[in-house]
Amino acid sequence: MNTLQYLISQAIFRGVSEETVVILILLPLVASVVAAARHLLGFRGFGILIPTAIAVTFTVTGIAVGVLIFVTILLVATAARSLIRRLRLHYLPRMAIVLWFVTLAVLTMILTAPFFEFRQLTEISIFPIVILILMFEEFVAVQIGKSFREAAGLTLETVIIALMGYAILRVDWLQRTALLYPHWLILAPLAFDLLIGRFTGLRLLEYRRFRKLLK
Amino acid sequence: MSKAAHILGMNARNQIYLKLNTKKGRQVADSKWLTKKVLRVNELPSPKLLKLFRRPAAVVEFDWSSLPDNFVLKPVSGYAGGGIIVVKKKAKWAGEWYLMDNTIINTADLRLQALDIMAGQYSLHNLPDWAMLEERIKIAKVFKKYAYQGTPDIRVVVCNRVPVMAMLRLPTAQSKGKANLHQGAIGVGIDLATGITTHAVWQGRFLQYIPGTKRKVNGLKLPYWNTILALAVRAQEAVPSLGYMGVDVVYDKEHGPVILELNARPGLEIQNANLASLRKRLQRVEGLEVRDADHGVRIAKTLFAGRFADRVMAEEGVKTLNNEEEVKIRTSEGKRTLVLTRIDTGAFRSSIDRDLAEQLGLLAENNILWQNHFGYRSAQGRQSRPVISLTFWLAGSKISSSASVADRSKMKYKFLIGRNDLEGFLVRP
Repeated sequence: MNTLQYLISQAIFRGVSEETVVILILLPLVASVVAAARHLLGFRGFGILIPTAIAVTFTVTGIAVGVLIFVTILLVATAARSLIRRLRLHYLPRMAIVLWFVTLAVLTMILTAPFFEFRQLTEISIFPIVILILMFEEFVAVQIGKSFREAAGLTLETVIIALMGYAILRVDWLQRTALLYPHWLILAPLAFDLLIGRFTGLRLLEYRRFRKLLK
Repeated sequence: MSKAAHILGMNARNQIYLKLNTKKGRQVADSKWLTKKVLRVNELPSPKLLKLFRRPAAVVEFDWSSLPDNFVLKPVSGYAGGGIIVVKKKAKWAGEWYLMDNTIINTADLRLQALDIMAGQYSLHNLPDWAMLEERIKIAKVFKKYAYQGTPDIRVVVCNRVPVMAMLRLPTAQSKGKANLHQGAIGVGIDLATGITTHAVWQGRFLQYIPGTKRKVNGLKLPYWNTILALAVRAQEAVPSLGYMGVDVVYDKEHGPVILELNARPGLEIQNANLASLRKRLQRVEGLEVRDADHGVRIAKTLFAGRFADRVMAEEGVKTLNNEEEVKIRTSEGKRTLVLTRIDTGAFRSSIDRDLAEQLGLLAENNILWQNHFGYRSAQGRQSRPVISLTFWLAGSKISSSASVADRSKMKYKFLIGRNDLEGFLVRP
C-alpha cells in the first residue's frame, strides 16, 4: 500500500466523503477526455470549464434532473435574448435581464416540483443549480456573431462532451480504481495530456471535413 | 506521405504554423486600427479611416451628420465579421441612412451600436474595445452578379513571403452580406498562376453554381491578379512577425485592390474551396529565400499552378515561336528595323551582332549597361562582351531587355534571343 492509498483510506475512515475523493481523483481524467474530444475527435465545445462543470453537476443532480434544468436554462436564455434584443440595452444590463428570466424559470421549477412529487428536484442542493444557471452567459455569448446552426452545433457538441465526462464519473470500475489505485488514475491523464498536446495529425472529424481531398 | 499528412488540420495549424506568429504580429492583425496604421506606413492601400472612437463620450459628442454618404461602422478588435454595420447611403431625412438591404438606420441606432462595440460585445473574450468608422468599399462591377449585398473579398494565405493558397469569398443571404465562411459566405478556390476560379464550397457542400443562379463558380478570371498576390506578400513584409497569415483584399470600384484586413489565424476551409492540401504547400515554401514580393509571387505561380494553367495561358495569347522569327528592333532614333532572328532556348541572354548594333546606334556610351570581362563559354570560346539595353517586338509583344554584343558577322542570324527573354512563349524546336 503506498502513501496515497493509505491517506485515502484513513481520510475516508475519519469521515471524508468517498464521493468527494472519487470525483476529485477522476476530475483530471474528465479534463483529459475533454481535451481528447477536441484534439483527437475534433469536437469544439466551450473549452474545459463548461463541459467538466456540467459533467460534475450531472453526477450530483442525476442525469434526468440535470438535463431538465440544463435544457430549461438554454431555452429560456435563448428566448429571453431574442425577446429583449429590441430594447437596445447595454451588454451587461442585458445579460442581467437574461439571468433574471433564467433564475425565475429555475425558481418556478423548484417551487412547483413538490406538487408533482418530483423528489429529485425537490431535494436538489443549491450549488449545482447555481453553476448551471451561471453558464447561461456562455450559451448566449456563443450565439452572438455566429449563425444559429453553428451556435446550436457548438452547444450540442458541448453537451456530448459533458455526457462523456459524466459517463466516466459514473463508471463503477473507475470509481473503485480511483479509491484502490489512485496513483494510476492521477498519473495516466498527465501522460495522456502530454501526448495529445503534441499531436499534429488530423482530427477524426477532419477526415470527414476534408474527405474530398483524401480521395 | 499519405494524403492525410498533406492536409493542414487544426492541430498542425496551431502547433506548427501559428507559432510563426508572435504576440506583436497578432496584436497588429487583431486590431483593425493598428493594421491600417502599419499598412499606411508601408504605403499599402487600405480603406480610409474616418473616425476612431476611444471613449464612449466621444460617440455621444460626435457629429454624425458630418459623415460622407456611405461608411462602415466596425469594432477595432472584432472577429468573424461581428458587429459591423455597412451604411449604403443617406436617407430622405438628416440623421437617417439606408443599409445594404435598404432598411433604415438612424443616428440613435448607430450610437448604440458604437457603444455596444466599445462595451466589448463583439470583441474577442468580450474585452472593452474601440469602434471605428471607415470609408465603404464600393463593390466592383465584376462581382455585382456574384455577391449578395456585401463586398466579396480575396483571402490570400501567405507563408515565408510566398502566397500559398487563395480564395474568393462571396457573401450570401445567409451570411447577411458578410464575407466570412463561418457566417455562410461561399468560398471559391483560385488558381494561383492565372487568378481563375476553380471550385467552391458553401457550408460544407461543394457547389457547381452560385445558389439561385445559373452562374458557374469556376472560370471567373479575377482582375489585377498579380497586384493582389504582390500586395499580399508586401503585407507580410510590412508585418514580418506574422509568419503565417491571411491577407484579405477587396476590389474598390475606384482604387482597385485594397487590403481590408490581416488575419493571424486563417481558417482551413480554403483547402476545400481549392480542393488542394495546404500542409504540403507550406512545406514546399519552407526555407525558400525570397528576394522580394515579385519573386515570391513568381515562386507561387510556378509551384502552385493548376493543371489547366498552361492551357489558359495559351488561350490568353501565349505564342508559340518557331526557331526562326522576324523581330523588330528599336533603333537609337526610335525607328523599328526588321531582323531575322534565331530563337535559342539554349542561350540565357540574348545576343546581337556588333556591326548591327553599331548600325542601329545601340553602342552609344549611355546605352551600354556593363562590360562582361569574364566572358562566355560559347561556340566562339572565351571573350569579353559589352551588354547593352535593347527593346524589340517579338510576335506582337514588346520586350525591353538586355543583350550582349558579339561578333556574329559570319553567322546567318545577326540577332539571337535567349531564354531570358522568352518567358511566356512556347518554342517549337
